Amino acid sequence: MKKLIGFAIAVVVIVLAVFGYVKHQEASSTKVANKPLVIARANDVVGLDPGFLTENAQVVDNIFDTLVTRDKNEKLQPGLATSWKQIKPTVWRFKLRKGVKFTNGEKFTAASVKFSLGRVLNPKNNAPTASYVSTISKVNVVNSHTVDVVTKQPDPLIPTRFNRYPTEIVPEKYVKKVGEKQFAKHPIGTGAYEFVSWKKGDSVTLKANAHYWDGTPAVKRVVFKAIPQTSTRIDALNNGEADIVTGVSPEERKSVKQSTTARLSTVKRGGNIVYVGLKTNVKPFDNVKVRQALNYAINKQQIVKYVLKDSAVATNSLSGPKDAGYTGELSGYAYDPAKAKALLKEAGYPNGFTATLDTVNWYADNTAVAQAIAAQLKKIGVNLKVKNIESSVYRASVPAGKQSAMYVLGWSSTNTLDADAAMYAVLHSGESYSTYSNTTVDQQLDEARTTSDLAKRKQLYASVEKTVIQDAPRIFLYQENTYYGVSKKIQWRGKIDASINVKDISYTK
Amino acid sequence: MARYLFKRLLQSIVTLWCVLTVIFLLVRLAGDPAQLMLPVDATRHDVVALNASLGLNHSLGVQYWDYLQSVVQGNFGESLYYKQSVLSLIAERLPATLTLAVVAIVIAIIVGSLMGIVSAIKKDTWIDRLSTSLVFLLQSFPAFFIGILLILIFAVKLHLVPTSGNATPVAILLPAFTLAAYPIAPIARTMRTSLIENMGEKFVLANQAMGFNDVDIVFNRVLKNAMLPVVTVIGLELGTMIGGAVVTETVFSWPGLGQLIIQAVQKRDFPLIQAGVIIISAFYIIINFGVDVLYLYLDPRVKKGGASR
Repeated sequence: MKKLIGFAIAVVVIVLAVFGYVKHQEASSTKVANKPLVIARANDVVGLDPGFLTENAQVVDNIFDTLVTRDKNEKLQPGLATSWKQIKPTVWRFKLRKGVKFTNGEKFTAASVKFSLGRVLNPKNNAPTASYVSTISKVNVVNSHTVDVVTKQPDPLIPTRFNRYPTEIVPEKYVKKVGEKQFAKHPIGTGAYEFVSWKKGDSVTLKANAHYWDGTPAVKRVVFKAIPQTSTRIDALNNGEADIVTGVSPEERKSVKQSTTARLSTVKRGGNIVYVGLKTNVKPFDNVKVRQALNYAINKQQIVKYVLKDSAVATNSLSGPKDAGYTGELSGYAYDPAKAKALLKEAGYPNGFTATLDTVNWYADNTAVAQAIAAQLKKIGVNLKVKNIESSVYRASVPAGKQSAMYVLGWSSTNTLDADAAMYAVLHSGESYSTYSNTTVDQQLDEARTTSDLAKRKQLYASVEKTVIQDAPRIFLYQENTYYGVSKKIQWRGKIDASINVKDISYTK
Repeated sequence: MARYLFKRLLQSIVTLWCVLTVIFLLVRLAGDPAQLMLPVDATRHDVVALNASLGLNHSLGVQYWDYLQSVVQGNFGESLYYKQSVLSLIAERLPATLTLAVVAIVIAIIVGSLMGIVSAIKKDTWIDRLSTSLVFLLQSFPAFFIGILLILIFAVKLHLVPTSGNATPVAILLPAFTLAAYPIAPIARTMRTSLIENMGEKFVLANQAMGFNDVDIVFNRVLKNAMLPVVTVIGLELGTMIGGAVVTETVFSWPGLGQLIIQAVQKRDFPLIQAGVIIISAFYIIINFGVDVLYLYLDPRVKKGGASR
């Protein structure tokens, strides 16, 4: 027994010694100034080549520059291009910034732009995001610092497209020398940050580019860390191990708000516009009165307030307030179950009907929302069976049209901040995510896509929205907010385009 | 002896082939990866083109035959996402998982054996009952619960260790304890039962009659005999840990194999899932094989082919 006690004591002593050592290490390490800024996200990156991303561009956008950037109010402003102009309906001319170099010394010229776009547009390369630039037919070099972007049809969105992946500018000589695979592991760009290391499954470390054309940033070193478990991510923030955490869920807002060392950054309507899609060619949803009845039967204000605890904003709009082409909030269907019942009766369903509603965990509290919808529709005699579908299954079944006739879906302008991206794919007939078909809407969406005059585009979108609200191919619900946790040691707020430009971050003094 | 080992080797190969076939078919049942690789607003044309370039438009038989051939040649293919050989990806992550599993099993062996020994010596006293219930408690808590609890106490409240990652050596303590919580139970229980059984042997009675105390008898005379079933349990648990570290790795952002495979499954990265599962199975088989070999030394009866285990 003595041996046992001795052993137990030894174990305790060793553990305490180790902890003591750590404490000591921590104490001495905090003395060293310039600890790297840590940004904790749910996933590690899988590749760092901006032309071939299968994820968002949060990390690579710090290593690379785009021709066009956005200012604090999301207005387009010069980046690697100093100015741009539509010189012909199908030609946009970009004047490029002179004297910019990649961090390996390679010069940034018009040829870099041609090369960067060319490899994405080449169908042999199967670039995952080629569709974002598919309107472009070619890039012509005019002189060393001028390029012409030629489009297949007039495209008003060219400046917007050159703000976003896959149009980051990459160094031609370096990419050709090391090959695309090596480039994705060790990228080199003109950006404010330079790649240092990538510890697979764990983190990517960047350091400030001392020769950056727009001035050296305040944060000298930044680590993008992968912490998949949401609660661990919040713990890391509250524990001072992370300075920014992304993907704070609505129920975790409280935990961040109560923190003494961090604060919550809310991006109002920074997420998806969530709705219940209706297959307009399937009975009984082929009848517009049924679709309108469903809208009258839903009290979305109540859902937003009590189910979502105000983590979203109820809306009938088809685009977000920051999107180019946004036409303001529209009044739609006020909650009126009596009217809903009357409409169902007119449509020939006096006793309601039974249907299945598919939902998926891409949206906050999706099951609770679906159940609230089911409960509200039950009041007009519509019995819903809620089916919660696994994420990757849903991702494949919806574009294939294999989902139920009622399905929850969220859409937004996915970082382009333009109404076209928010509407076209979910409303134009024949698009993978659209279960609606209206020739007027199709024609107006097509026209808005090729019209350069913003006022004219707004008119077209306003008309589309009016028709869509009348036609009700969906149950209008809400647009989600997004949340970040931010350490009080730094100055930064979440952006509507989900970007994290580390060069804009400063330390609180 | 050589014949025995050869037979075991053959069995292992057949087992691995079965694993390969099952996982090959399973991942293909789950749906195609092209849709998941492309952004949500990609067109149907993009999806079809990508599927063709991935070779997923061939018939199942052709794909299987191609895969089998390349695996026999040691080529497990390239990850669809990382565009890198899956073996090199796994090799990058394996050390983290192995370190975690080994540290955890060492913790489990020490704690489990001690609890088992104490329970056996103090059989049917309150100490035994306390120790047994403690072991049950550890086993019945799910890993993510223990993990989150440990993070809250030791990282957030006491600031003793970081919440996640493996940047510092001490960062291994919490995930290792979490992972060890489960196997402590079977080790302790097997140790207790085996010791009690052995304590009933006549030579123990003789020792007791000679005036040796129980602790002395346990540590110096009985333990080696009693270790036999415990070794089997440890071997099995170690195998389980390499595959089963998934939850623990996720909770603590431990950059190991488990996390890699979970992400591969979510993204339908076929080659990576296949290779990951085959490698984990191979580990399981190797460890079992190792346990069998260890038996030859611990229990001479096996060598003679007399007693079955």
